[in-house]
Amino acid sequence: MNTAVQQTDYDALSCKVSAISKHYLPCPRQIEECGFRDYSGIQMEYIRVLRMLSRRAYGKISRAVSSTMPVMNYGTYLRTVSIDLSIEEFMRKHQDEETQILNLGSGSDLRMIQLLARFPKTTYIDLDFQESVKLKAKVLRNSDQFVNFFQLNSSEGEEINTDRYKLLTADLKDVPRVLELLSRIASKKVPTLILTECVLCYIPQAESQQLIDSVAEYFTHGKWVSYDPIGGNKVNDRFGTIMQDNLRESRHLEMPTLMIYNSPESYALRLKNISHNIHIQIMWDYYMNEVSDEEKNRLKALQFLDEIEELEIMLSHYILLEATW
Amino acid sequence: MKLDDTIDSLRQGKHIPEETVYSLCLKSQELLMNEANVTHVDTPVTICGDIHGQLHDLLTLFDKSGGIEKNRYIFLGDFVDRGFYSLESFLLLLCYKLRYPDRITMIRGNHETRQITKVYGFYDEIVRKYGNSNVWRYCCEVFDYLSLGAIINDRIFCVHGGLSPDVTTINQIRSIDRKQEVPHEGAMCDLLWSDPDDVDTWSLSPRGAGFLFGRNEVEQFLHKNKFELIARAHQLVMEGYKEMFDGGLVTVWSAPNYCYRCGNVAAVLRVEDDLDRNYMIFEAVQAQDGVGNAIIPTKKPQMDYFL
Repeated sequence: MNTAVQQTDYDALSCKVSAISKHYLPCPRQIEECGFRDYSGIQMEYIRVLRMLSRRAYGKISRAVSSTMPVMNYGTYLRTVSIDLSIEEFMRKHQDEETQILNLGSGSDLRMIQLLARFPKTTYIDLDFQESVKLKAKVLRNSDQFVNFFQLNSSEGEEINTDRYKLLTADLKDVPRVLELLSRIASKKVPTLILTECVLCYIPQAESQQLIDSVAEYFTHGKWVSYDPIGGNKVNDRFGTIMQDNLRESRHLEMPTLMIYNSPESYALRLKNISHNIHIQIMWDYYMNEVSDEEKNRLKALQFLDEIEELEIMLSHYILLEATW
Repeated sequence: MKLDDTIDSLRQGKHIPEETVYSLCLKSQELLMNEANVTHVDTPVTICGDIHGQLHDLLTLFDKSGGIEKNRYIFLGDFVDRGFYSLESFLLLLCYKLRYPDRITMIRGNHETRQITKVYGFYDEIVRKYGNSNVWRYCCEVFDYLSLGAIINDRIFCVHGGLSPDVTTINQIRSIDRKQEVPHEGAMCDLLWSDPDDVDTWSLSPRGAGFLFGRNEVEQFLHKNKFELIARAHQLVMEGYKEMFDGGLVTVWSAPNYCYRCGNVAAVLRVEDDLDRNYMIFEAVQAQDGVGNAIIPTKKPQMDYFL
């Protein structure tokens, strides 16, 4: 089961590479508002090194990239941009203070590079399964560009632990271990953004609730940003159950809470113990309301989008949650 | 006899040799070449919407609607892309057409083009199945000969997408030189790409090709050509079909659980001699067939979800 979940990192990575190669990403807002520099260069450097180190992982990713549908590029675009802008909002709010970012189940995500470069008072922590962390650490340690950036002084080591960037192993279902780790590396008093991007959906209900409550309680001030699928709660909506069946059958991947937190309202309940300020949005609404007409036209010109009805169905089953305390 | 063997193989999703595909495509081209841009069809007839390579659901469609041996069918296009059996679905329809020429009319959809099949899966499927793109090229040649519309009993206009600001009469469709890759604009493009919507007049389509058209455009077109219905496909409808504009237009969708994940039902529309409309709803076949074969290939060629 852990392997099935860990493998989803390749999906996320291939989706991102595909969206970049088709120029969905970076978008003008990421460049102007989030100040992103050399966005695709950083991603491609990662892929270049990955190719040298793990033919298997690279093969999976390049095969997937070549067959990515426009609907997937749209969804990846929205997922990535909405999270980036939410992080940016947090960073601006605390721009003169020390901050921490905790990416739970970070996989190959490279957000830390842009953020550490722009915010010198920020510490960034990536936690994930041992396999994912090992691979990511290996890639970062084998690129001159990344070695220079993180000031890594050795090419050995299965984790990374510098003053400002920590890439460490943790099984998120083992909440005591996560807390023990945090107590050693993260300050309770520093405002902290916690990111779970397609992570909570793979964790059983009890463990995921314990993870949310314990981690959020650890930090005095924080913002939790979570992107996940929801099963859907409308009459005749079979998207969620079909998704569970498809993923179980084709990849032995379980989504234990997909039909429990099946609507924005029920999903938001997961954060109710820690925050009275919860904002949750369906990605289709995000596309309709938050993406400007000009930007929609830019996207439309990238690839023919067929079918828009399918896009609506897909995006109506993914949410972005933002909770502050 | 040989055609019947090929039909058997196709129905079982078996591999078809490249030479067989080549000769099938050549014969189909000869047959389609003589068809007009807009063909005339008599009732009773069953109108079918998008298939998108969902071979097993196409077989269900024929089973539940009486079968090609005894019934007439119009397919509104989008035979290929998205599903895992685009080739088999398209070839099966071609074989039926060769075997029963007056029982099946095939209209071109916006996916029956070189450009779109390169993005949406048919090209990749062929390269996966044959190791080269020859079969894709043969099929694309056939696409260029598919007709653009059909008229049932002079009363119902069938088309894949919808109307065009450049088309007010059927004669304007008849004068199109259809034997080409679908252009990015103009009448031929619009017929394959446009969508009905709640708009006052012709509007830009969110798809990047074709137009949105509304009640006014539909009523004018019906009146001018003395039609009572536009039957089209092109848009996923969760309930399988959707009538609009007081029954002046219908969308028929025939790919249940589209892309193996949308959870929709499918429909076909049977038009009787008195032009009565009967919708037949059907569901997707289970992921495994009766003898335990996976309907969805175990090696998934693409990801379907954001994970």
